[in-house]
Amino acid sequence: MATEEIPEGNSSVGTAPSGFGRARLALAISAGKLAGASGRFFRIGGGTSLPGMIARRIDPNVLKSVVGASRARKIVITGSNGKTTTARMTAIIADFTGQRVSHNRTGSNMLQGVTSVAVNFADMFGRLDSDVLLFEIDEGTIPLAVPEIQPDVVLITNIFRDQLDRYGELYSVAQALNKMLEGLPETSTILLNGNDPQVANFGQNAKAKRLFFGLETTEIGTPVPEQSADIIRCIHCQEDLHYEVAYMSHLGLYRCPNCGYTLPTLDFAATSVQLSPDGEGPSHVKVRTPEGEIELDIPLPGVHNVYNAVAALGATMAAGFDISKAPAAIASIRPAFGRLEKIQAGDQTIYLAFVKNPTSFNLMLRLIAQHSAEKHALIVASNTVVDGEDFAWLWDVDIENIAPDIRDVVCSGGKAEEIAMRLKYAEIPTDKISVIHEREAALDAALKNAGPGGTLYIMASYTPTHELRRIMQKRGWVKHFWEE
Amino acid sequence: MSNEVKDTGMVLKIGHLYPTLMSVAADRGNLFSIERRCKWRGIATEVEQIFVKQTPDFTKYDLILFHGGADREMELASRDIQAKAPSLQEAAEANIVFLSVCAGYQLLGHYYKPFQGPELKGVGLLDMHTEGGGTRFMTHMALECDFQESGRMILVGYENHSGRTYLGDNAKPLGKVLAGWGNNGKDNYEGAVYKNVFGTYLHGPVLPKNPWFTDLLIQRALERRYGHVELAPLDDAVENAAHDAALKLAQDFKGTVSAIDATPWRR
Repeated sequence: MATEEIPEGNSSVGTAPSGFGRARLALAISAGKLAGASGRFFRIGGGTSLPGMIARRIDPNVLKSVVGASRARKIVITGSNGKTTTARMTAIIADFTGQRVSHNRTGSNMLQGVTSVAVNFADMFGRLDSDVLLFEIDEGTIPLAVPEIQPDVVLITNIFRDQLDRYGELYSVAQALNKMLEGLPETSTILLNGNDPQVANFGQNAKAKRLFFGLETTEIGTPVPEQSADIIRCIHCQEDLHYEVAYMSHLGLYRCPNCGYTLPTLDFAATSVQLSPDGEGPSHVKVRTPEGEIELDIPLPGVHNVYNAVAALGATMAAGFDISKAPAAIASIRPAFGRLEKIQAGDQTIYLAFVKNPTSFNLMLRLIAQHSAEKHALIVASNTVVDGEDFAWLWDVDIENIAPDIRDVVCSGGKAEEIAMRLKYAEIPTDKISVIHEREAALDAALKNAGPGGTLYIMASYTPTHELRRIMQKRGWVKHFWEE
Repeated sequence: MSNEVKDTGMVLKIGHLYPTLMSVAADRGNLFSIERRCKWRGIATEVEQIFVKQTPDFTKYDLILFHGGADREMELASRDIQAKAPSLQEAAEANIVFLSVCAGYQLLGHYYKPFQGPELKGVGLLDMHTEGGGTRFMTHMALECDFQESGRMILVGYENHSGRTYLGDNAKPLGKVLAGWGNNGKDNYEGAVYKNVFGTYLHGPVLPKNPWFTDLLIQRALERRYGHVELAPLDDAVENAAHDAALKLAQDFKGTVSAIDATPWRR
């Protein structure tokens, strides 16, 4: 968790542990590996954060020791949205060029999940046989994790309104990230989303080299940012920003009419973007890079995946790897679990969409609206430590846009009543809305609504995404998420 | 909802103050709640958005909404609202209904002194001031209110603020805290009322899951213009279920400063 207390480390990076230190490290790694294996054996989870948790209990320096001793290039990916898919794309590009990649690919991105990378991939002596260490890290965990990792590349995807009940307000997260960037050495590279008016301004006083990625086209987007957009005023003089085009939330081509603040020159820019009109992909994209233009066919739909692909290109190149195989690598990508994942359930089809803030919820609704299938829906949100307590943001989701197309919707999870009410106020008739708390019963009711051969759209927060997938895994519709 | 709602001929004029600047916690849900509940009763609504640098005559509205924002946005609003202050005061004295939430609530008081940084001036519609605190209250909240129209009723929602608000003699609290922290975490009161000016820390947003309070605001706003008004009853089963779920959370989390830190891994 972002709020967990981490014992102080006492060994410095790069120095070989003493005899006792080596023994403790070996014990920590073995115990962590064992915990992960039994977690998988007993089907209680993929062992994605457990190995790290156990290993840190035995040796708080386990991450620092293993990563510090490795010669691999270290890439850290953080931000509000897009971390998991960007990391997967970066991994696959590196993999296609023959690099050995170690990666917390299941999206377990708090300190324990990050430490699990070291535990799972290292041998008993803490040696890593990898060329690339790829860490997807929760933005709140960054201040704890980055000093232990000493990354070569730090990529920030975007900062949206997210987890206000954990971090208080948007700007406190941004300040912590900026402070981390300014502490990086000049040998590191910072890769920032130039379309995000706040992120683009990060690291002004950093010693590390800054590079920017983003979109640079008027083929797609809207003239005005959506309601849930956060940074629509100039970060320097507070004047309302003028947008030539907004791609998603507050990401776009912006300029301050007062002080002239505008986006930086993009090093990696999608200069042409053709999205698939059916909401299922692929997108055809031309990307300007320092090594010439690259054309990509991205199998995953939506503008957010264009960002993910361009960011992944940038991260790979910034880490010093060849990107000539990137088009083939990107073309082979499949969605991470729960990212509008298409699941065959007998003669029915399920699309599973993990939604965690207004930006991701709106993106999913926009894609689903383009689908031709009848809209039967299951919406599930829990209030747990990972899903959050304050669910007000649901009222910033533009349900109204898709409400007339909704045939029926089942609401589930600890926030089911709030969801049902939100739908009522989007003027979905109450006889089309039902509340079923129990997860499996809710899934079955929603599938019944969809009818034989029908399609069900599931939008779920983090914990219910896993719960529903576990049910579907038992039914043989999907694999374990750690096998994806 | 039935399509055959009889038109009452009444119009509710809503002024939405700083709809983009002050909108951090999805408080537009309050507007949705008022609009739909009017529509379902055949009452028309007109909404005017009021931005920085604009100085409308606020007495032309029946109901004014003023929501929350982070400190940076609040600073801008504090500066801008000074030009609007005389007309806002006139509207408050003329019994126009105000719903102010969080930073909007704080700015209707005399001033807000952040934990760090310069003091932000309010407009003094509510006799109160706010001082920044070292810890932030981020948890579920419930309070008991007692109004002539409604009798004793419970308001539920979520609070997320570090400001501590202290009322003067001319403002009454909105309600008594049952769970959560409220104005300052000390005197057991939450929110403020003066005439028809209401202020609260309740997000959630507050109106959808407290339909009785929404209706109280609508009724008072209409009665100023149309005399005695009887609001047609609505089926509030969905709203009341959300209300009860929120009340249960508030009770479960009673005594916690930060709900997320006290949240179980599974539920």
